[in-house]
Amino acid sequence: MENMIEVKDLRKEFKSHSSRSGLKGAFRDLFTRQYKVVPAVNDISFTVKRGEMVGYIGENGAGKSTSIKMLTGILTPTSGIVRVNGMDPHKEREQFVRSIGVVFGQRSQLWWDIAVQESFRLLKKVYNVPDDVYKKHMGHVIESLDIGPLLDKPVRKLSLGQRMRCELAAALLHNPPLLFLDEPTIGLDVLVKLKIREFLKEMNATYNTTVLLTTHDLSDIEALCERVVMLDEGKIIYDGQLESLRSNWGEGKQIEFQFANAGVTKEELQPLLAELDGAWTPGDRQNVWIANVLNEEHVISEVIGRVAAAHKITDLKVHEISIEDIIRNIYEEGVTNG
Amino acid sequence: MKYIGLFFQYAAQYMKTRLTYRTDMIVEIGSDLMSQAVNFIFILLVFGHTTMISGWSRDEIIFIYGFFLVPFAIFGAFFNIWDFNDRYIVKGEMDRILTRPIHSLFQIVLERMELESLFGVITGTAVMIYAGSRLDLSFAWYDPFVMVLLVLGGTLVYASIFVLIASISFWSDSPTSIMPMMYNIGNYGRYPVNIYNNIIRFVLTWILPFAFVGVYPAAYFLGREEWYTYAFLTPVIGLVFFLFSIFMWNVGVTKYRGAGN
Repeated sequence: MENMIEVKDLRKEFKSHSSRSGLKGAFRDLFTRQYKVVPAVNDISFTVKRGEMVGYIGENGAGKSTSIKMLTGILTPTSGIVRVNGMDPHKEREQFVRSIGVVFGQRSQLWWDIAVQESFRLLKKVYNVPDDVYKKHMGHVIESLDIGPLLDKPVRKLSLGQRMRCELAAALLHNPPLLFLDEPTIGLDVLVKLKIREFLKEMNATYNTTVLLTTHDLSDIEALCERVVMLDEGKIIYDGQLESLRSNWGEGKQIEFQFANAGVTKEELQPLLAELDGAWTPGDRQNVWIANVLNEEHVISEVIGRVAAAHKITDLKVHEISIEDIIRNIYEEGVTNG
Repeated sequence: MKYIGLFFQYAAQYMKTRLTYRTDMIVEIGSDLMSQAVNFIFILLVFGHTTMISGWSRDEIIFIYGFFLVPFAIFGAFFNIWDFNDRYIVKGEMDRILTRPIHSLFQIVLERMELESLFGVITGTAVMIYAGSRLDLSFAWYDPFVMVLLVLGGTLVYASIFVLIASISFWSDSPTSIMPMMYNIGNYGRYPVNIYNNIIRFVLTWILPFAFVGVYPAAYFLGREEWYTYAFLTPVIGLVFFLFSIFMWNVGVTKYRGAGN
């Protein structure tokens, strides 16, 4: 399959002026400035194939936004190669942006004061979409996002969820083969989130649209993406299947016991895990302890059996380690045991 | 061609938005016309006491002022970029502009147009007719065309200076304070440049060529032959400066740092 996005040794540095302290320092700053060069994106490389849906994650300041802005042609890279859809985003910007759709969750693409359909009409002119193509494609988009009743309302009167669905429709107006979504579900309720996910899946299935998604809500990524690229301090620290993330770092299970008697101690519990290679951690409430054990049938039943025989328990839960926990662990401990 | 079509689409949308707030619109047009009328009376009062400055008669100075108002009004209608730094750089609106397949400056012109400003063209023309009738000026059949050409040249001069200043925003954070100063310097172009000393005259002709918005082109219609060279340079200066400002703008866009989220 051909590559939709090719990034090689991509780097973006920002010069920041560091001021000296005191009045004397301020005077010296007037004449000789000290600059600190901070790499926001530090020589990253990756490729995305046509039709892939990739989750792009990282903490605030990890370089997500900066790299997305280089991929969309907004920022010029300091060095490195970016080819997106066979074009250099920055050099051929006006030609290039015809082939992408962009949704920035915190920023509106629509005109605030005019009705949604007027915004669509202007964008249709901007992108030069012929009438028949527009009718067929947008009719479908409007129907699946269920925004028909909103079309004659001005954007400022829409709720966040309604506006977000309109933004998504606007980004897809010219049916781009590549879609960048930056925090598209921020602050939305569950129903709208589900609708948007459903819609993105459908777009991907019908038009083979490539999607690059950044979000803080990992459930979006679990629902949509098979692959994740994880950034930290401007570097890629993980690039691979979401599933293998789980199997490499999240192989254990957590069994949560709530004991009937107060005052169960770690010392009392420790012998129960003998030869089973597990560890106890205190739970978030009183009398609750969590056994972290391997994800194997006999281990799980053995632990439950031993504990139930030794102590009276009032409640019992078995958790799989969530993707969120795994990612938090990776950020805290680094990718060491991968 | 496509850009012209887009321009009319945006202009139509602009009118539509204005029409939805009907009372606002009527009040605004009313106050615009009123302030233009006040402007007109003010000019007559201010120049009422002067008779001759450096060889220019009162009516000639009024005529220059009237001419100046026309390119200035057109500039005001389409190059509302005095708050470019705050609106587009600091707030990050430039991100959105750069994800659309149209030249970024043209998009900003479309978004920020303020067509009411065009009323100034009427005032300017009225002032010129008033002063012209007192001066007994004679017009040839081609003079209206020359007028259009010189007005466009003057508009381009104004636009390019402000585009250049807006472009500084791509490199530095603080050009906001230069903008009001520029509006002040722009006003010097309304008066005959030979009343200033040579340095100011040089600056207003070649560095910040505001003289090409007022006195030089107006001199053509006043029949002041000693200024004809400058008058005919107006469209050339306008075009050269405008192309240069677009070039600087395009370089600036590659230096755009984006707003931090």
